[in-house]
Amino acid sequence: MRLSGIKRYHFARDVDEALSLLAAYCGRAALLAGGVDLARSARGDLEGLIDITGMGLSYVRGEGGGLRIGATTTLTGILESKAAKEYLGGFLCEVLRRVAAPPLRNMATLGGAVASAHPWADIPTVLVTLGAEVRWSDEKGEHRASAEELWQRQFRKMFRNAVLTEIRLPAWEGAFAFEKLSRSACDIALLNCACGLGVEDGKIAWARVAVGATPRRGRRLTWLEDFLVGNQPGEGLWREVRDRVEAQVEVSSDRRASAAWRKAVVGPLVARTLKRAAEKMGDA
Amino acid sequence: MEVVAERKRTSVGKNVRKVDGVALVCGRPKFTLDVDIPGTLVGKILHSPHAHAEIVSIDTSEAEALPGVVCILHHGNVERIPYTTAGQGWPEPSPYDSFLFDRKVRFVGDRVAAVAAESEEVAEEALRLIRVEYRILPAVFSPDEALADGAPVIHDEEDAAGIHDARRNIAAAVDIPVGDIERGFSESDVVVEATCEIPYFQHTPIEPHCTVAYFDEDGRLVIRTSTQVPFHVRRIVARALGLPMHRIRVIKPRIGGGFGTKQEIILEDVAAALALRTGRPVVMAYTREEEFVCARTRHPMRVRVRLGAKHDGTLHAVEMEALSNTGAYGAHALTVLSNVGSKTLPLYNKAPHLHFHGKAVYTNLPVAGAYRGYGATQGYFALEVAMDELAERLGMDPVELRLKNHIRAGETSPIFEKIGEGREGKPMVVRSCALEECLKVGAERIGWHKKRTEKRREGPWAYGVGMACAMQGSGITGIDMGAATIVMNEDGSFRLLVGATDLGTGSDTILAQIAAEVLGVPVEKIVVYSSDTDLTPFDVGAYASSTTYVSGTAVLRAAEEVRRQILKVAAGMLEEAPGDLELSGERVISKKTEKSVALSEVGHRATYVVDQHQIAATASFVPPESPPPFAAFFCEVAVDTETGVVRVERFVAAADCGVAIHPKLAEGQLEGAIVQGIGHALTEELLFSGKGRCLNANLFDYKIPCALDVPHIEVALVKSEEPTGPFGAKSIAEVGINGPLPAISNAIYDAVGVRLRRAPFTPERVLSALLSR
Amino acid sequence: MKIYFELNGEQQYVDIEPGESLLSLLRRLGMKSVKQGCNTGDCGACTVLVDGRAVRSCITFAAKVRGRRVTTLEGLGSVDDLHPLPEAFLEAGAVQCGFCTPGMILTAYELLSRNDDPTPEEVRAAISGNLCRCTGYAKIVRAILLAAEWKREGRWR
Repeated sequence: MRLSGIKRYHFARDVDEALSLLAAYCGRAALLAGGVDLARSARGDLEGLIDITGMGLSYVRGEGGGLRIGATTTLTGILESKAAKEYLGGFLCEVLRRVAAPPLRNMATLGGAVASAHPWADIPTVLVTLGAEVRWSDEKGEHRASAEELWQRQFRKMFRNAVLTEIRLPAWEGAFAFEKLSRSACDIALLNCACGLGVEDGKIAWARVAVGATPRRGRRLTWLEDFLVGNQPGEGLWREVRDRVEAQVEVSSDRRASAAWRKAVVGPLVARTLKRAAEKMGDA
Repeated sequence: MEVVAERKRTSVGKNVRKVDGVALVCGRPKFTLDVDIPGTLVGKILHSPHAHAEIVSIDTSEAEALPGVVCILHHGNVERIPYTTAGQGWPEPSPYDSFLFDRKVRFVGDRVAAVAAESEEVAEEALRLIRVEYRILPAVFSPDEALADGAPVIHDEEDAAGIHDARRNIAAAVDIPVGDIERGFSESDVVVEATCEIPYFQHTPIEPHCTVAYFDEDGRLVIRTSTQVPFHVRRIVARALGLPMHRIRVIKPRIGGGFGTKQEIILEDVAAALALRTGRPVVMAYTREEEFVCARTRHPMRVRVRLGAKHDGTLHAVEMEALSNTGAYGAHALTVLSNVGSKTLPLYNKAPHLHFHGKAVYTNLPVAGAYRGYGATQGYFALEVAMDELAERLGMDPVELRLKNHIRAGETSPIFEKIGEGREGKPMVVRSCALEECLKVGAERIGWHKKRTEKRREGPWAYGVGMACAMQGSGITGIDMGAATIVMNEDGSFRLLVGATDLGTGSDTILAQIAAEVLGVPVEKIVVYSSDTDLTPFDVGAYASSTTYVSGTAVLRAAEEVRRQILKVAAGMLEEAPGDLELSGERVISKKTEKSVALSEVGHRATYVVDQHQIAATASFVPPESPPPFAAFFCEVAVDTETGVVRVERFVAAADCGVAIHPKLAEGQLEGAIVQGIGHALTEELLFSGKGRCLNANLFDYKIPCALDVPHIEVALVKSEEPTGPFGAKSIAEVGINGPLPAISNAIYDAVGVRLRRAPFTPERVLSALLSR
Repeated sequence: MKIYFELNGEQQYVDIEPGESLLSLLRRLGMKSVKQGCNTGDCGACTVLVDGRAVRSCITFAAKVRGRRVTTLEGLGSVDDLHPLPEAFLEAGAVQCGFCTPGMILTAYELLSRNDDPTPEEVRAAISGNLCRCTGYAKIVRAILLAAEWKREGRWR
């Protein structure tokens, strides 16, 4: 950790205090929850740290079939909560078990994952698929937006002067699945996919599909979602999904994987994820 | 050499508790950086941002003016003395092409200057304030580029020595013909060829390099350092700094892994120089990033193997050509290159026609050095893939092909004589070899025959099995020396002083076991002190799989001499002939009568009572031969044919290390080496930009295996008795890492019919091979 | 700034730099078992327990442990009085160089405090973030399973 310029460490008691401290530092302070991203960042310019883990923003509550998660809830906190285990058959837990490793999950928070939204990360892909809503407060008041929409904005700049407070996950009648390809078993994704299906009378009633680490951050394939509706889950459909995805999904190269490989595997990856979701519904 | 009969052994062959084990699991402060010396300065290195450049000027005035900066060193204010950083015995068979600080930089990460300051923050700030003017030179990033006409000369300095052909960037070359190779191929019924390539691999010991240099009460320089070679550190630092050797003491405490990257002088010379200049203690520790780029790596290599065989599978001609990338400096260039052939070709000793040749070439990239396997790993990748291809061409089972060709006890190979350690070798007859049994055990445990015919598939996953075998050596013939001193305490316990270096391998423990066995005491009664150049006798250090065999024999000899002295004293006490007495259960016991006396009584008597003298002995050993350990490797992989992902499902290794002094430690060496090898095969690779800057010098992007990556591993120790080894032991430390690369490549071929010859076998490479099939 | 916290059962009241890492603080306080392997949270050698949870001390700010319970390996038994978990590591031959061992043991401690009958796969998942280069993990997994067995038998603290 290379943050040697820090002059003061504050424990904020509530959102208002956190916001006024941020304002007082004029951009030279950062909010600190788990600190995993901050400690690894190159923010040598920082003079102040504002610890927000004592502001009552660590909770996981089921509400109307959906989930409300406080922004400073650790990933382990989510994994071990009863509410998350019940939400969508434990889907969120299934995903989080593949993110990082237990000691890092004990530190990293969901709010932190939203604020950094690394393109290679798994959580953004999943939040986009689930239609997550993000709530935050700044000096102008309280705001909300879908995660998907939020990440189209200059969100990192925004969050330097705002406090993420809550992430809400809606209720869904269906099944979700997540797959990722990586270099080793404890690794970020070279490509990831999260999708959900609702099936009625043997046909797909709705679909949510997002692909991430392309190397871009997770985005929905709305054209694929539209295509899937009305179709019958089965090997024939999955084959067609493979071909369409390979033809249409944009991928590119980074130092971890080439565009050629991503192009070749994104089809099978999406098809497998959809198939698993369908299997969970009992309609493979 | 008298050997205690196996069924009576009380220490050797037992899984005793490691002598340092309790302290380690309690977190006692035993590692290099676990001491706090008042007044210690922090040393930091300014690294070159350029792959190849001349230093036109260095201006340290601003940095020196920073409060807290005590000293800055660079080429302008230190003596220029050429040396090698390779931790090898004198005369080191590596070029003397390194300098404390040079006027030139040869890779991104090369040393430009060093700062000693009151704190890490001040030192880092000082680095930022040093103004360096470079004249950038053209750079080369592969042996092919470096060998091309008109390539820039990396080592054009006049005072370097020992470079094979500096003008052509060739650090070292070998050419070993036996018989007439082309005639051999023309006489062969079948000829196959395989070329295999490995990239830059780094050892990633969990503890990066670190050193503390300070002065004792007498003003002598003490270097406490994380090293595999304390005695070489002493000698080479003395040379580099122009200091008399007796003014330096080197201590190796517990270290956090080495695998070869610590068989080198990395920080000790700079830390010592800073300490001498400032008169104060200096601590230096590499960051993980520096550990990747500025320590040592494996030699990236391209190895081509051509095999000629008769219809019945007997090898008739073997050619091996190696092109080695030694990086910016030539440490270990010649010897690693030589080992590519010397540790591989003797394995299949039936061919009368051989040709081993190759070059080690300088490039403007990180410095390659010693890495477990030391050239054999690269050689076996190509050799065992070629053997697999040969087996297929002949329609023969790969295991059968090995059984037909491998060396056996009582046999020799011309290679033993032709290739030594940077010079000619010595003829040698293999005296112990259980490879045949290893092959049978391994094949059975993995279910070889069933799985070879099965062609199992589950959805997109295709399963296959592959195998390889390998040998290594035990120490370096005629060159490596180990010595041991055993001193008897008055209470019947003993002190064992060895120069030998325990890097986590457990050598302190097994050497104590050897002594304990001879002296008839439990291991707890042997107090081991190791790797201190002031207090322990000489030992070359931990490399070349030498400690059990070489240092162990020295301990055995010292223990036998101490036993003789004990028996002489006891003979007087018991009034019996020494020849009628033996040591057992902490007593001297008569073989003829009921009489016995406790060792404590003997010790007490010799210390205080009659004919007082210190019962003690020092013994040395230089091995006249290097008996190879052998191993057979079998693995089962699953290949995802849609994505190219490879999973190693099961890995079985059966190894012959002679007699295992400590079976669990021997297994641990095999298990660890295999997993390191799996990293080589599947995920590890240092990547560089077009300008020679490393792009993934961190553990986030250079992926080494984690606990979830490791397949079901099964290791079996297959016994043989090496008559020249202590209690029949050979070695085990390196041979395990030679198996995974070829075994996994061969298993992938069995699964999906494509040969991966370039490591690592990433999903990308595998899929690309599948799609172009 | 000053913080108070509990270290291996003893109250501490110490001066820290606001930007200091927990790793730096603990080593300063003499807890040399806490190792620096990478300083970026990737290797796990620096792992300690905070309120019974394994965290990476190299990327944890020291101030964060204000009012909390910190456990390092020094707090888990002593040379004369081995805790069963480190003893299981010794018994199974799971310690080679020992550098990853403190972090590994504490991570295992957290696992066993929540699950005293883990499967081998669960053990591997629990230690997946603790890198070891010496052992290949084989005997480490066996050590943790052995310790779990001892815990179920009542041999624990």
